[in-house]
Amino acid sequence: MNYSMHIFIAAALCAGAATLSPSLAEAGSCCGGGSGGALTVPRYASAVADLSFDSELYDGFWNQNGRHVSDPPGSDLRQYRATVGYAQRFATDWTAGVSLPYAWNDTRYSGLTSKSEVLGDTALTVSYDLFEDKSAWRVYDLKDMAPAVTVGLGLLVPTGISPYDDVGSSFDVTGRGFYRLDGTLLIEKTIQPWSVSLASAYGKYLERAVNREYGKYVEPYHKELGDRFTTSLAVSRSFYIGTGGDTIMTTLSYAYLNEADASYNGKASPDSGFTKQSLGAMLAYSSTDHDWGLRLGWNHAVQQSGWGENFPTTDVYTLGVRYVFR
Amino acid sequence: MYFARLSCALIFCLLLAGCGNNLLPSESDRRPAVQAGTVGPGVGQSAPDFTVSSSQGVPVSLAAALSGRKGIVLYFTMWCPICDSHMNNMRATVAPLFPEVGFYLVDYVSGSVTDAANAAAVNGYSGGLYTTLADLGQAMLNNYQATMGTTVVIDSSGIVRLNEDYRDGKNLQAALTALP
Repeated sequence: MNYSMHIFIAAALCAGAATLSPSLAEAGSCCGGGSGGALTVPRYASAVADLSFDSELYDGFWNQNGRHVSDPPGSDLRQYRATVGYAQRFATDWTAGVSLPYAWNDTRYSGLTSKSEVLGDTALTVSYDLFEDKSAWRVYDLKDMAPAVTVGLGLLVPTGISPYDDVGSSFDVTGRGFYRLDGTLLIEKTIQPWSVSLASAYGKYLERAVNREYGKYVEPYHKELGDRFTTSLAVSRSFYIGTGGDTIMTTLSYAYLNEADASYNGKASPDSGFTKQSLGAMLAYSSTDHDWGLRLGWNHAVQQSGWGENFPTTDVYTLGVRYVFR
Repeated sequence: MYFARLSCALIFCLLLAGCGNNLLPSESDRRPAVQAGTVGPGVGQSAPDFTVSSSQGVPVSLAAALSGRKGIVLYFTMWCPICDSHMNNMRATVAPLFPEVGFYLVDYVSGSVTDAANAAAVNGYSGGLYTTLADLGQAMLNNYQATMGTTVVIDSSGIVRLNEDYRDGKNLQAALTALP
């Protein structure tokens, strides 16, 4: 599933919390997870390289009525992802980036086990720094409250294994199989030591032809996934360690994801869309010069009715390391 | 310039590493020719025989399932949200139109009949319209080349009329309407 779910996926690369980007995390083994998210380049930097490892544990799902349902007895469903990301500032206010995940699916039911590993969907991004937060250290009047605003475009490239590939089992799926264009918005205001950010994205999948499902050729048809909206709100507080300038940042976040119904040959398919709400927490360390950063993240989908629809409930644990090029 | 070259190299790697069917989707019809008279999961073939236990512990064979019916539907489930969406859609929009057709949920992930019964109950599919079959060992899964969401229609003479991923129920409805 998938599909999965399946749908999506990541702040720097973890759903919701890690980099204050909107959650892109999707379902894993059942619903096609494994795509990467956007990287942000600090204004003082020329580039950022990032490596993260996610462990996503599945534990039930919300059905189409929002009721939380447990997984079958004896099941243990996991997806692990290693994601390499790089973003480059190629002009004063412009950055471009790529995020490439590699996923391992580890599926165990009481009567079946499956393991697979393959590339996930790749994210390409271009962003423009519209406004700069020029007053992170002092607020004297109203204009000092102006936040940093970044807008961008993203392209999800279906490099993962989708149901439309020559693949026999849904357990091997790591991608949606569709291109998606995203418009992104990041609003962030820092008044040291606090920071608040709102990250949103609206994505439109491109319609595609399908002539094969899970390896079996079928009568060709056209399919389009529903429009996707993600938003996350994060609050952070920085703590300075000693006199050297090393920083610990703690972040709490909330993320919302909605994908509308898919359509077949132009006709909407009811109950194929999904919704997910999740909570996140992150602990990040950065060195005195802020060149190196290390983060631990946790994203939790509340396993109670009413927090989502038609989507798996998962916990995502993230360990990431980042280097900022001056 | 360096960044442009790097970007080109990355995109080239993606094209090489990615699956061509996703990057460049095809709409050509590549379905194999119908092989009537042979046993297999393809449309037009004789459906592979099976005998499995229902979640109530009752043995169910292909012949027994077809007995007295215009046909049967096999839906392969792993009790996931997509499966639940499909099963609910089928129950609400398709099944009421075809009372003379048997609807079976094939549970290929549970390791015992008891687990299959529990999974059906937790998901709200025990009793009523559906009969849950415990495909212990995945013989049906393999013989029907199925996976999550695979929907198979077999007519009363044992011929496969549909074998594809569940979409919105319209293809299933058309296949059931066309049953002899």
